[in-house]
Amino acid sequence: MPQTRSFDPYTENGGTILAIAGQDFSVIAGDTRQSEGYSIQTRYAPKVFRLTDRAVLAVNGFAADGNMFVKKVKQRLEWYRHAHAKDMPLRAIARLIQTMLYAKRFFPYYVYNILGGIEEDGTGAVYSFDPVGSYEREACRAAGAAQSLVQPFLDNQIYFKNQVPAPGTTHPAYLSLPDVLSIVIDSFTSATERHIEVGDGLEIYIVFAKTRDLQDFETIRAKNVHLIQELTVAEDGERIFVLRRDLKKD
Amino acid sequence: MSIMEYNGGSVVAMVGKGCVAIASDLRLGNQALGISSNFQKIFPITDHIYLGLPGLATDVTTLKEQFRYRVNMYTIKEEREIEPEAFAHLVSSTLYERRFGPFFIEPVMAGLTKKPSGEYKPFIAASDLIGCLNFAKDFVVAGTASSKLFGVAEGLWEPGLEPEDLFETISQTLLNAVDRDAYSGWGAVVHVM
Repeated sequence: MPQTRSFDPYTENGGTILAIAGQDFSVIAGDTRQSEGYSIQTRYAPKVFRLTDRAVLAVNGFAADGNMFVKKVKQRLEWYRHAHAKDMPLRAIARLIQTMLYAKRFFPYYVYNILGGIEEDGTGAVYSFDPVGSYEREACRAAGAAQSLVQPFLDNQIYFKNQVPAPGTTHPAYLSLPDVLSIVIDSFTSATERHIEVGDGLEIYIVFAKTRDLQDFETIRAKNVHLIQELTVAEDGERIFVLRRDLKKD
Repeated sequence: MSIMEYNGGSVVAMVGKGCVAIASDLRLGNQALGISSNFQKIFPITDHIYLGLPGLATDVTTLKEQFRYRVNMYTIKEEREIEPEAFAHLVSSTLYERRFGPFFIEPVMAGLTKKPSGEYKPFIAASDLIGCLNFAKDFVVAGTASSKLFGVAEGLWEPGLEPEDLFETISQTLLNAVDRDAYSGWGAVVHVM
């Protein structure tokens, strides 16, 4: 009798990630549910990671590959620090990620990456990748299980697609931090409402350029002291914060 | 090859304050190839009911005619116009008749019911291809862009929208959803009652 054996080394672990670039800040968010099929493996599995003081990486897809990939990126960034006595710039990290993903072109990391942070010129940036390293710098991007729910909403709210400005006015080129945070939270609560793989918790990383006045953020921070944690390491450089919120658990 | 995605197309309906809206795209395709940018998917049933029929184009035409026939028969026998609730169940039983060889259509309907007080109550409903009804109190979606419509509608819709705001909400929902769907688009139509 002929027999067939197979080994499937990949699974999908659900969840969704999202990043939006402002003029002098960047917001990178992800939910914390990790699932396999209809089962929830854990309600807290972070998908967003601080790489340096100005770079944050969100990884979504096959969680095992995602964690391994983040581990290897961090290792390469540490070697860069030892060799050059400084952190790798954001655009260089983006190119590094492309090379690392393409190196496994014929046995890929089954993950979608979104890299957010501050560029050397002090602008907020978002880079999005496919599993084999094709990448692009954008103003915003959603990826993962609820990408199809969130991306058209972002087209409308961030790029003002299908909206006509009032006569004599133009659409703003960049949104304010409070507006961006509201859109991120609305996107995830909407996705949680309609997608079974999204929910439990939300982690929002916020990276500020070193020149930025944090007045608007301090107002938000004062109202959410227990939710916001500062992750900045170096002094008088870029600053990183993480905002943790609950999402529905059903 | 999925039959539900053979011709493409999407429909959405929303409830407002004393009003309803239903909207669709106008594309007719043959898989990836666009054929027409003026293919009607929403049909008036009575003065107070509109029906959207996204799915297989040949069944759009068949069902449109079949509902016209059955609603006419109902009107003659009952000597009155059909109510939206009754029409929803007519849609459901028409589809369930073909339980094991279904029409490849997921109907969406919107209407207004006249209450004894004289004011109009908004009504929307959607069904799967074998007639399982969904009476939502906010919005319903169907077609190839349904997941995108769900995402945008969940973000934009709010309770108690006036007719002008409902028009803007349903239009933005449809437009931004179909712009991310290769099988939908090529024009749109919006009805507000």
